Amino acid sequence: MYAEVNPEICTGCKICEKVCPILSVKVFGEKKEKRAVVDLSTCVGCGACVERCDFEGAIILKTLEKSKIIGVDPKSVDEKEITELCLEAKIHPEQIVCFCTGTRANEVAAATLLGATSPEEISRKTGVRTGCKVECIEPILRLLKAAGIEPTPVEKGWQWYGITPTIWDIPEEVIQKYSARGFYFEEDKALLKKLLENVK
Amino acid sequence: MVVKLEKPVKPLPPKQSRYGPDPDHIKTRTCDLENIVSVRVREFFRDIPESIYPSERGIKAVREATVNALTNVDMSMIKPENSVNILGSHHGFLLAGGEPYAEMLKAIRDIIADKTGSENLRLKVGVGLRFRESDEYIRRFGLDEYFGKGKAKGVAPIDEGIPIETEIGTLYGIKRCYDADWIVHAHNSDVREIHFHRHVDKAVKPFGMSYARIETRSTYHQNLGPRSANFVARAIFNSELVQNKWTFATFLKPTPAGITGVDADNDLFALDERLTKENFRHYGKILSLLSQIDECIVVLDFQAPIPYVFSAGMIFANFSAASVDIFDLDYPLPGYTWYTEAFYGTDDRPLIPDTPPINPAIKAMVINYAWGGYPSVFWAKMIPTIVVGEHQADVFDKDPQNIEFMNHAVVAKDLQTAIEFTTRIADTDKILIFDGATEAINVSKPLAEELVEKVTEVDKEVEQKLIPKWCRQRGIKIEKQI
Repeated sequence: MYAEVNPEICTGCKICEKVCPILSVKVFGEKKEKRAVVDLSTCVGCGACVERCDFEGAIILKTLEKSKIIGVDPKSVDEKEITELCLEAKIHPEQIVCFCTGTRANEVAAATLLGATSPEEISRKTGVRTGCKVECIEPILRLLKAAGIEPTPVEKGWQWYGITPTIWDIPEEVIQKYSARGFYFEEDKALLKKLLENVK
Repeated sequence: MVVKLEKPVKPLPPKQSRYGPDPDHIKTRTCDLENIVSVRVREFFRDIPESIYPSERGIKAVREATVNALTNVDMSMIKPENSVNILGSHHGFLLAGGEPYAEMLKAIRDIIADKTGSENLRLKVGVGLRFRESDEYIRRFGLDEYFGKGKAKGVAPIDEGIPIETEIGTLYGIKRCYDADWIVHAHNSDVREIHFHRHVDKAVKPFGMSYARIETRSTYHQNLGPRSANFVARAIFNSELVQNKWTFATFLKPTPAGITGVDADNDLFALDERLTKENFRHYGKILSLLSQIDECIVVLDFQAPIPYVFSAGMIFANFSAASVDIFDLDYPLPGYTWYTEAFYGTDDRPLIPDTPPINPAIKAMVINYAWGGYPSVFWAKMIPTIVVGEHQADVFDKDPQNIEFMNHAVVAKDLQTAIEFTTRIADTDKILIFDGATEAINVSKPLAEELVEKVTEVDKEVEQKLIPKWCRQRGIKIEKQI
């Protein structure tokens, strides 16, 4: 799929630009002439622009004549380096981080080790964040951080705002305060430790 | 126990949506096939209260219940010059056809206006992974006209965000949810995603989900753990930002047997505890009964994505997760949850020993009617899957969340062929239909008879052993008769 703009309806409001996870939509022009333009070389048809556009028909999804496959082969990078990066982020290398594309942590790590320095670049290389656009931002930021990279959110964009806490960051007093209310922090930590101990 | 087997209860007709197939393509419903019967849920569990909707009193029963529930709720903090955001969730519109939830939202609006004199009342309805779904419901139920031009809007997790400082660090909400002086939490008590929230602070969940940005939702599903996930909701709810705008909550109360009322409170945690106890009794029993099924074919036939189609009030995701008791917090991972799915390796085998499988009772899955808009390939990989018609396959093929789904499923020309094929390969005549039939469960006759045989024992076990255990795990006081 790919996005296509109808310049007769588009008002250049920029919402599509603010939500595109891979920065494929840009608004060009002055005042009433402003219109969105899609970079078809990078658009993967995730539909974020279509789903948030306030003007019915201004941007639509169309089917590609020939589908394209994107991805990074984790085998193209030293496995030891991938494993170290994933463990630093406390993520199992084979763990799925994007349920829509089936992308695993090792692929995101490989993209990072091959030079990607932002979630947008990782998405362009691997496809993560182009399915539901919701669930996989934090493992990406964790893997970037583990590589010593602290990306800056896109200026005036809504793509993402920042890295958030993990179970490893929960303060002890919070754990003590709420563990009797059904929040099994310690037990879940033990489960996640077990996962990481199983890394080959 | 004598339980009446009845003619199948007709599900709601298919609905037009950008997320599903054209309703004209849905020629046959599963309940119309031979040998399908229906059991009223209250025939199984007679302690479930009678529904107020559907009932002969119609939709006005929901308005009356809302008025009654809000009688003693304090709204004095809202002044006539103040703005109020009534926060809702798309999911309420899937209950009993959606009209009860829409009516509750309208009633809340009217009651606030009457009691406080405020006229600046807006409706902000959150979504899951289908960002226009709430807008579709707002139009369908006339909420845009009811609230006034531009005052009823769907909000999505990729909309502009607002940082929220919490006791575990910064999380992010949807800015438009919090752009009023006050907020009202207008939700429902359906258990829905037990596999995710594990019924810990269930009533609080929308603060970490429907009203939250992608960063918070990703934290929930990827950064915490299968039993700690919903803490993001509590953390946000307890934040200064939310507490400074907080007024009260109003919840529509479904059970597996229909809508039974409305509850409201200024104290969200008190409300949560009441609803949790009721849900353990009603939903706990029906899911425990369904968990007794040793083998079956499931047929999905409802206007929702795969996990959210439901049968006797339980969504398919819960049934697929029920290889263990998903209410029981001693089990870290249900058979399905995103933590479970994430922990399957490249060879599609679990990375941790003892990971429970997808409910092994499900021998095959037929999809007669379902939407896209939820990453569902895990089910297709784990369960032999037959999709009815190219129109339904096309829904998945064009869905960015299901790009590989049809690599793992086959297409049957029609429903009858699909059922004949699956009953043959699965060697079972037990069919469980997820068609959202209100108040009842549509199943094949052999499965109905099996459920009838097991219901008394299940009722006793849930009442005497499981409810006390589930309550104890969550720090909920157990009275002799809850």
